Amino acid sequence: MNFWEYLHSRRELLLFETWQHASMVLQCVLAALILGVALGVAVYRSPRWSALAAGSAGVLFTIPSLALLGLLITPLGLGVAPSVVALTLYALLPIVRNTIVGLAGVDRTLVDAARGIGMSRAATLARVEFPLAWPVILTGVRVAAQLALGIGAIAAYVSGPGLGEQIFSGLGRLGGANSVNMTLAGTLGIVLLALLFDGCFLLVGRLTTPRGIRD
Amino acid sequence: MTAPVAERQREGLHAPTARSWRTLLQPAIILAAGLAWMVYIETSSLDSIESRVLAPGYVATKTWEHVQLTLVSTLLVLAIAVPLGVALSRRWARRAAPVVLAFANIGQSAPAIGVVVLLAVLWGVGFWTAIVALVAYGVLPALRNTMVGLRQVDPSLTDAARGIGMPPVTVLRRVELPLAAPVILAGIRTTLVLMVGTASIASFINGGGLGDLVTTGVTTQRTPVLLTGCVLIALLALLIDWLGGVAARLLAPKGL
Repeated sequence: MNFWEYLHSRRELLLFETWQHASMVLQCVLAALILGVALGVAVYRSPRWSALAAGSAGVLFTIPSLALLGLLITPLGLGVAPSVVALTLYALLPIVRNTIVGLAGVDRTLVDAARGIGMSRAATLARVEFPLAWPVILTGVRVAAQLALGIGAIAAYVSGPGLGEQIFSGLGRLGGANSVNMTLAGTLGIVLLALLFDGCFLLVGRLTTPRGIRD
Repeated sequence: MTAPVAERQREGLHAPTARSWRTLLQPAIILAAGLAWMVYIETSSLDSIESRVLAPGYVATKTWEHVQLTLVSTLLVLAIAVPLGVALSRRWARRAAPVVLAFANIGQSAPAIGVVVLLAVLWGVGFWTAIVALVAYGVLPALRNTMVGLRQVDPSLTDAARGIGMPPVTVLRRVELPLAAPVILAGIRTTLVLMVGTASIASFINGGGLGDLVTTGVTTQRTPVLLTGCVLIALLALLIDWLGGVAARLLAPKGL
């Protein structure tokens, strides 16, 4: 069976797994966006807390995904729970870092001007600082999504959902019929999803960046 | 007022020996944590499977295999990515560079596990397949870092170097590479950490390494084995990251 025949004969399963993969990554990245921005907003005014948040995010980042997934089996068991927690944690890191960097990079004079015309701290954050930092935050989200797509494949090892299943079935059938097709389908599916996500983020970036700072 | 501060910062950046105790504190903590974990595991009550897999000799072998996978693949990645990056940033290759970068960006979105398994399915399993897969996965970010590093060198500096009569090779060696060194070295550090993580996947294709403890722990449902693998991989990643940071500081040219 060649690759096209394989794709054709398994199209329903493959589409389902692709959908699962995309939906898992999207949900985890959204959760990480909410948590990460909240965390970033909470710490960005204090250099010490910012350094601590960015530093611990960096340390967590060096921990390999297989190790983290393995560690999560003990408290959470197999399946969706450890995959979602691990994906959200990894997605959190670039988002927290970029939120802090983006908010810290806002020109102080603009913040002073906003305060000077009588805006409250919350209004300054919502109407001046956050829109200006948004492109940087969105870049973080994009990195997070690409990362989560790749780690999502390893999540199949702890029985997580998604295209990783194809890769691990291919590995389990090493040398047998369809092993190359399965692995190739899983890998290329994730590459395609990554391109799709990137395109979406480009679009979202265009639509949500304030007009004044669009390039 | 600012000059002494800048001076002190520069000193801190380039003279890790001056405050060696603080530089050595982090690896000391990491090693102590690893040793403490091993002592705790060896003294706790283990059943026959656990005690066989967690024998100090076996764990040490796996750790050494992991280090080998990481170092060999990183060296190969550098041997490929840095010359290629330099070649692609030459004037005559300017037109190929965006194509290669676009390809690198797409290739990087391929999941590590997919690349590793695909090569194993095509070539068979083992240490060297794992190395080839790790190199294939690690070349792209290192290549991109080299190209970005060389591209951000101020063109007026290379012009000046050429203007005082340096041949292109000397411009590259004495001006461009030193100025690009921080970015390239940061890329090497990222590659090292990436390789530690990806090397743990090598155990799926019989490449050895600490991933073996994780997979054994999962398949035999022995939590202590699983935890030991995870803890040691994480500690090794932190240690290698520290090593990369020290190397970046020592190798970066002074005055930057």
